[in-house]
Amino acid sequence: MKNQGKWNRREFIVKPILWAGTASVLAKTNALLASPALETSASPLLQRTLGKTGLTLPVVSMGVMNADVPGLLRRAYELGIRHFDTAAGYQNGRNEEMVGQVIKEMGVRDKVVISTKQPSRRHSQNAAEAKRHFVDGVEASLRRLQMDHVDILYHHAADSVADARAEGPLEALQSLKKEGKTRFIGLSTHTTVNVLSEATRLGLFDVALVMLNYTMAHDTEILSTIEKAARSGMGIVAMKTQAGGTVKPDAKLPKELPAASQTALLKWALNHEFVTTAIPGFSTYEHLEQDFSVARNLAYTQEEEKFLADRAFLAEAEFCQQCGECRKDCPRQVDIPRLMRSHMYAVQYRNVGLARETLASTAPGRGLEACGSCESCLATCRNTVQIARKIAQLKALAVSQLLA
Amino acid sequence: MKLWTRWTTVLIGAALTLATAQAQSSAFHNSGSAARPADVSQKKFASLLREPLPGHASAQAPPSFYNPESLYQQIDGGADIYLLYDFKSLLHQDFKSGAAELTVDIYDMGGTENTFGIYAAERSPTYKFVAIGAEGYRDKGVLNFLQDRYYVKLSGSGANADGLLDQFARLLSGRIGGTRTLPALLERLPREHRVPHSEQYVRKDPLGHAFLAPAYVVTYAQAKQESKLVVSVANSAQEAKSRSEQLAKHFKQSGECTSAPELGEGGIRARNNYEGRLIARTQGHYVIALLNPPENGAEILKAAARSLP
Repeated sequence: MKNQGKWNRREFIVKPILWAGTASVLAKTNALLASPALETSASPLLQRTLGKTGLTLPVVSMGVMNADVPGLLRRAYELGIRHFDTAAGYQNGRNEEMVGQVIKEMGVRDKVVISTKQPSRRHSQNAAEAKRHFVDGVEASLRRLQMDHVDILYHHAADSVADARAEGPLEALQSLKKEGKTRFIGLSTHTTVNVLSEATRLGLFDVALVMLNYTMAHDTEILSTIEKAARSGMGIVAMKTQAGGTVKPDAKLPKELPAASQTALLKWALNHEFVTTAIPGFSTYEHLEQDFSVARNLAYTQEEEKFLADRAFLAEAEFCQQCGECRKDCPRQVDIPRLMRSHMYAVQYRNVGLARETLASTAPGRGLEACGSCESCLATCRNTVQIARKIAQLKALAVSQLLA
Repeated sequence: MKLWTRWTTVLIGAALTLATAQAQSSAFHNSGSAARPADVSQKKFASLLREPLPGHASAQAPPSFYNPESLYQQIDGGADIYLLYDFKSLLHQDFKSGAAELTVDIYDMGGTENTFGIYAAERSPTYKFVAIGAEGYRDKGVLNFLQDRYYVKLSGSGANADGLLDQFARLLSGRIGGTRTLPALLERLPREHRVPHSEQYVRKDPLGHAFLAPAYVVTYAQAKQESKLVVSVANSAQEAKSRSEQLAKHFKQSGECTSAPELGEGGIRARNNYEGRLIARTQGHYVIALLNPPENGAEILKAAARSLP
């Protein structure tokens, strides 16, 4: 983390790839063949500093959202996890109650970093009302947590620039920090580019909780935005590192993906040094041990390498690499890469708000409305993306008013 | 290794196809938009909030509908647990009555067991319970209850909001009709020392173990000592035995586990540092476990076994 400021735009994209490449070479020489589980006691915990907060954390933390089991927190602490993330909205506040009770019983409040999140009200209201509502919500969280303060308080799901700027929650956050009810303030967002850019510009947030996963591997706009925020001193915590996007082990599937896929995805996110820590949401002891094994070694194993490099997987996933080559084929100069990003947000991330914003940010005459007069799509992807099919899906979404 | 890769690809492909298909499906079914009811089921759903309404409440906007794909728009990451319980659709609408503002969220969970599961995941035994539906509770500005396949969440603010919540709850309970009882298995389990309103139905990872799902979980308390009774529902006696063996294996690896035939069929006593002590046995296609058992834990376990069908 200390060298992070020296990375340039190219390096932060290239370094993780070089890392992967190096790991691949080492893997072929059997130097990295150990399974993740075997690495747990071999090397020291990897720790990073959370931006200007100065907090030092192991790279793997715990998103408590899905865990309603006190033993999991106890085991997580026993293994070395020191950051626990919850929210007022998780299980109607019961998640905070459980976290607070376990931390109290263990007597380790001063040894852990607790974060919680408070949403702003969606109804329109004036700033004073919004601030009062936000503060009241945080006071209730502190009561449930049985704590006089949290370490990080996020404005939960600040998914628009207006949310990030909203006077009420911002004043509430600053006031609560001043009163010592939180040591640091931040926001969580699924709309990384716009919101994080605004948060960086504002310079008021200590920490940002952002989605980061392998489906974003070629999304230079997202990656550079996060890196810029980190360079400004904002601590970056990654969420949805394994669950987001295409690679989500869908609950409807009969089996979960192999263990190597989960550790590979977590490592991919953490191999971006601008990320201080990730908060995977494991809910079993088995997954806890599996995820935490990553905290001692971010080099990919051979199986993980294969997972990330599998051509069939990449073809199935149809990741748009944002190379822009397809633009040359389109007679109407449609901004196809942006449409592909919008499709990814709508279909793979299930984040319609972000998809809508991405569509809206297309230059006039270069968006979805410009596409349509050709008998068949003339644009061809140099990789595997079926452009025409994805644009047709986007149009269907727009017709249904989902993206209107 | 090739087989592994192919299997992974197939699974991921399936996930992608499923996600895409669902997104397309949701797009055509008016998800997440404050729009006109697009089909019969939505019209029927919306009719739960038809006029007349208490306090001459007037809708502030048309009803919004959310399906499994669009629920994230409304409740963000909180949607995950609803999807786990097979969430079908959400009817959302805001009302105003005088100075009071009211928000109605009615979650259609498709069946009574899943409705109870999500409701119980969000309620605490410490809440103030009210007699409505199968079970309900209230706090200032909030009244939630479950009935039949619906989980109803009402929130309000402003003068007389609490009274309005009550009136809306009664009205909706009457219009919903159907089943007003909790899952039958819960009625069978021992009542002595049971913490009221502590029952849960856990679809995923009960006690942090995927192999125990699904399970009913009930809290018992004696002299300030709380114990969790878990009734894991397997498809067969053989599967229950397998689950019990996995539980024993886990404790052998993480602490200790010994056979305890005095507890009954497949009885074990186990402990480790982070979960504490546990006793367990099987009964037909159930695994019954008691975490942090009191002195008379064996009796509770046996009573639970006798009560099961």
